[in-house]
Amino acid sequence: LYIVDFADTSIVITEPYFTFSSIQESMNEILFEEYQFQSVLRINAGSLSAHRYFHENNAELCCIVVDSGFSSTHIVPHCRGRKMKEGICRINVGGKLLTNHLKEIISYRQLHVMDETYVINQVKEDVCYVSQDFYKDMETAQLKGEDNTVMREYVLPDFSSIKKGFCKPREEMNFTGKYKTGEQILRLTNERFAVPEMLFHPSDIGIQEMGIPEALVNSINNMPEEMQPHFYKNIVLTGGNALFPGYRDRVYKEVRALAPVEYQVSVALPQNPVCYPWEGGKLLAENPDFEEMVVTREDYEENGHYVCEEKFDI
Amino acid sequence: MAEKKTTVRSQDPNQRRVLDSATRQRRLTRQLEALEKDNFQDDPHASLPQLVKRLPQFDESNESGKRRKKTRGDHFKQRFRKNFQALLEEEDLSVSEGPNYLTACAEPSKFPQRHFCAVCGFPSNYTCVSCGARYCCVRCLGTHHETRCLKWTV
Repeated sequence: LYIVDFADTSIVITEPYFTFSSIQESMNEILFEEYQFQSVLRINAGSLSAHRYFHENNAELCCIVVDSGFSSTHIVPHCRGRKMKEGICRINVGGKLLTNHLKEIISYRQLHVMDETYVINQVKEDVCYVSQDFYKDMETAQLKGEDNTVMREYVLPDFSSIKKGFCKPREEMNFTGKYKTGEQILRLTNERFAVPEMLFHPSDIGIQEMGIPEALVNSINNMPEEMQPHFYKNIVLTGGNALFPGYRDRVYKEVRALAPVEYQVSVALPQNPVCYPWEGGKLLAENPDFEEMVVTREDYEENGHYVCEEKFDI
Repeated sequence: MAEKKTTVRSQDPNQRRVLDSATRQRRLTRQLEALEKDNFQDDPHASLPQLVKRLPQFDESNESGKRRKKTRGDHFKQRFRKNFQALLEEEDLSVSEGPNYLTACAEPSKFPQRHFCAVCGFPSNYTCVSCGARYCCVRCLGTHHETRCLKWTV
């Protein structure tokens, strides 16, 4: 069905921000010389998200994209379709760090899971959430028995009868005494919200960097003054970590507290934060300007890496 | 009371080893680096019997694919003998203007750091004298001394 003849196709591929020139050159070589694509567009994922956002909100001039993914979180302001390099801020906290941290604390407190990255990743996605009031949730998590609304029990997979781990619903939880059945259970209280809290306060774990709301405000403050209210009005959250329940409300609350009172703050969370840049890429490929943005194979064979360096704004 | 646990205070102050701040910092850096690792490993559950037998897929275009395959793997290994650290340092030394990977990193937070108990994860108020780990109550201190305090050297 999907047999693609590379020599006739164009490809849009995303790259991280500020990759080294040696990596960019080898990307060019792989795409043009080994796969022999007809034309190539290498672009940052945030630019595709911004394109998609501007497509929906035609009136807006500026937006700021928060892309929180596996390796790290990037905060990138965009104005009139171009990213603003001076405002790019990178927080070295991503899904990888959150899962590794969760593995460590579970291994210390309950069960040795240091090898089970995939299982704990599933636990993180099923059970963790972003709290709106950190200290209040901490107090609730310390209560015993029924009053502790934060605690959840997670049944680990044993790959014979239980193929995939799941969280037990509250009615079946057993607060006193031990379980008779042979299933392995993880009891999670404060880890549920302390782990995603690292996105907002990396200093909790010792990483001396600003969290997402602070870095957002910092990045906007580095922009020219007349654009700042426009950035506050158009904050877009993308990336896998945006799927945590409560993420958008918490970002809004913190940014509202840090932003000047006369500016309006509005945070947008798309339906599918993970595929949002891809949708942007799809729209871009249908755009009439697309032909001017790509580098064709003939171009590359004539001029080499130089033409890619000039055209691609990475 | 079945058994009497030895309390921490019964340790002779002269016998307790105290780490200085440089060692504590080194420990912290070690822990943070461990958090960044990529977990490239074989699936620990790969040896378990497959529950659903998957039919082998016969691919007719296998031969043409093999003919086109060029061994580029070695070529790239020759080019990229430098690892990520070395590339980063090279970037640092280069004199190019404008923002780059290193300047884009977020600055330290303006808010004070919050501390959490190393044992249970709740907010902590106290610090272990020997190694600098945080704890919230005497019970957690006991657990910490039994399991982690100074148990390995950096």
